Amino acid sequence: LSLWAVAVLLVALLCLDPHSRVSSAPICTHGPSGCHVPSLADLFDRVIQHSARMHSLSNDLHSEFEQYFLPSKNSIGKIYRKCHTSSILTPNGKENAQKLAREELTEVILKLLMAWRDPLFQLHQSMAHQQDFNSFSSNKALEMGDMAHELRKGVEKVAEKMRVLGMLGNSVTGLSAAETMLPISDSGEAMSNYELLYCFRRDSNKVQNYLKILKCRIVPEHDC
Amino acid sequence: MRNSGAVLILTFIAKLILQAAGVSPPGKPRLTSCRSPEKETFTCWWEPGGDGGLPTTYALYYHLENSETVYECPDYRTAGENSCYFNKNDTSLWVNYNITVVASNALGKNISDPVEVDVVYIVQPNTPENVTAVVVHDEQGPFVRVSWEKPRTADTRSGWITLIYQIRVKQEKDEKWEEYDAGMQKYYNVFSLHPDKECMVQVRCKPDHGFWSEWTQTTYVKMPNYIPRERSLWILITIFSIFIVLILTWTLNVKRNSMKLCLLPPVPGPKIKGFDKQLLKSGKTEEIFNTLVIQGFPPTTDYENLLVEYLEVYDNEEQELVLDGKELSEDFMKSKSSSDNDSGRGSCDSRTLLLEKCMDGREGSGSDQHQYSQHGETSWASTESSESQGAEPGSPESTDGRAKTWPVVFPQPHHHYPVGAVKPAYHNVPEILNQLSPHATPSNYHQLHHQDIPQQELRFSKSACRHSQSYNQFNLDSIDTPAPGVPPLPSLEYVEVQRVNPENMLLLRPLSDPNREPERSDCTGEDYSKVKVVTSHNILLLQRDTSHQCVDDYSQADQCTTQQPPHPCKPAVHQWNSVMPQEGMRVMGNGYVDSTVLMPSF
Repeated sequence: LSLWAVAVLLVALLCLDPHSRVSSAPICTHGPSGCHVPSLADLFDRVIQHSARMHSLSNDLHSEFEQYFLPSKNSIGKIYRKCHTSSILTPNGKENAQKLAREELTEVILKLLMAWRDPLFQLHQSMAHQQDFNSFSSNKALEMGDMAHELRKGVEKVAEKMRVLGMLGNSVTGLSAAETMLPISDSGEAMSNYELLYCFRRDSNKVQNYLKILKCRIVPEHDC
Repeated sequence: MRNSGAVLILTFIAKLILQAAGVSPPGKPRLTSCRSPEKETFTCWWEPGGDGGLPTTYALYYHLENSETVYECPDYRTAGENSCYFNKNDTSLWVNYNITVVASNALGKNISDPVEVDVVYIVQPNTPENVTAVVVHDEQGPFVRVSWEKPRTADTRSGWITLIYQIRVKQEKDEKWEEYDAGMQKYYNVFSLHPDKECMVQVRCKPDHGFWSEWTQTTYVKMPNYIPRERSLWILITIFSIFIVLILTWTLNVKRNSMKLCLLPPVPGPKIKGFDKQLLKSGKTEEIFNTLVIQGFPPTTDYENLLVEYLEVYDNEEQELVLDGKELSEDFMKSKSSSDNDSGRGSCDSRTLLLEKCMDGREGSGSDQHQYSQHGETSWASTESSESQGAEPGSPESTDGRAKTWPVVFPQPHHHYPVGAVKPAYHNVPEILNQLSPHATPSNYHQLHHQDIPQQELRFSKSACRHSQSYNQFNLDSIDTPAPGVPPLPSLEYVEVQRVNPENMLLLRPLSDPNREPERSDCTGEDYSKVKVVTSHNILLLQRDTSHQCVDDYSQADQCTTQQPPHPCKPAVHQWNSVMPQEGMRVMGNGYVDSTVLMPSF
């Protein structure tokens, strides 16, 4: 009887946890080989959902950090180091974003996601090793990193599809290895976890926004 | 010197005067909030800290993160008093603004605390617009359909901003609002509204990361007056009753057996008082018989009143019979006759029938021991009185182990039934035996055990044609003979059952008629009718009185005395219902009529 109770409890916990893992469904790219080929709209919906989820996670983590480790918001001593992705030129307004071509916008998205692959892994590692964090936070960080990875793959597939459909020119270049940046600030120190979270929160918001713009520009059927 | 000192003194006096007047430098202003309605522009508001009595000016300064360039607020008017409006050009997303407000008046200035703002996270849209509420009549009842539009400023079309909506409803005299989430759609159907009441509706919206807008102005709608069909109640009642029925059925099913017992009580089986079924099963016949025997029945007050029963034994010639002397041989010759002795037997058991069937078997039986055995349920065994004598246990020749049979097999059974009398209720002993000893051994012996006597077996052989399978064994008691000195009658002899004692013993006694008619049997009793006279019309008049003088009748019977079944006299006996075969009719020598054939066949 106790075994049953434990099993039921576990299931309940898994179900009730709002941040339980969500994995993306595989996207079929090989045509009518038994796999349902999603349309571009479906692909966009999927990646946008992904990015929303990712941003939500980063938001939660950042709030936790602010709450427990930095009680004084707006403290004078708060110094923000530059995010390592600040070198990537990103549109900072609607008009700017709309002015960008699809290819550029897609590229920006991919750049951003690529730039965060390693730092997120590092973030998870450092969070897991420190005892200050509970297991939920480090799991969130891990999930966040995985989602970023999945999202990048998804966006690449979207780009591929667009290219196939002729919506995208060939100016989208693959990301070279040089693009991978290390989150090293000006002073050469590694960024702290809080700063990483701060930066990633912002960047995930950017990605989500850009994807939405892209979607409503390309497939404006619904939700636009 | 005097001037500077005079100035100082004047300044001091001025301050004192000012202080007395209540003026001071401005208080510290405070930025209350910054909001962006569409994620493209934003506005910051502050509150002054106190003007210090003098006109105070406020200035807002900001600088972007990681930049030292300080800018002043571009627009102080658009957003109203104590506000700063940042237009599109001045708004950069995903960039932190460091904003401060400076209040200054004639006496000094004061700087507020800085505030870090990222425009993306301070989005609060305008309220939705064009909220309409319409009553829609449906078959299930009317409901209210609320629809609205997005706030004008929010650009959802390009995907720049995503809004989700919420409505709330309150009916008049309700205290609380009912809130409903509408997601991204721009309409909502409100059900479960009470009829004939006014309904108030409000809508608001929120971006995916941001603040809720303000509620719209109240929209009023009046619900019509309708009678709600309480279908849900009926459905509930139906389900409940079905549930009850199911439970009842299940209970009945479970208690099926006890219900059956209650409604259809078992009929008690027949019970014979004193009769124990277990005894029957165990097969102890004596005890069974003991329970059946009623004490004192048959009434045996007088042996004259006895129901006379005769046991007839028929043996066929094949059976080894130990006869008591050869005197019987002539009798056995007579046995060839197909006289029939069917009294008390069913038609199927008719001896004549048997004899007819068994004629074949009897050809070779030239032995002088013609004995016909008749078996079956109606067989009667008669015992010779000679055998019943006490000295010898029942058999004329008590040879050891040999078949001891009562050699009383008569071809001419002398059934002394009172013709016309009520057929006595004969105890069909074999029948009783058949019934009472259901465990009839395969050897088909029915045993009637008697006490006191070493087992004496009276065996009746089967007829040659095996008419019957049953043998009747009678272990007879020593038969009480009133005349122990009666010599053994070599010829046919009747034994009458004196009584049946409690141990199921048939106490037999020979008919004590000393008449020794070689050719005829004795008269056996008083219940037989004698032929009184044969009339001219060949009618036998029978005499019913109990005259025991058989001898007297000889003369009468001589008229038609015949031992042969067919007799020329052919006295016309008073016809019974049945037709009698001629050969079946015999007239005994002593005036008794064998009315066996006269009996209607059963």
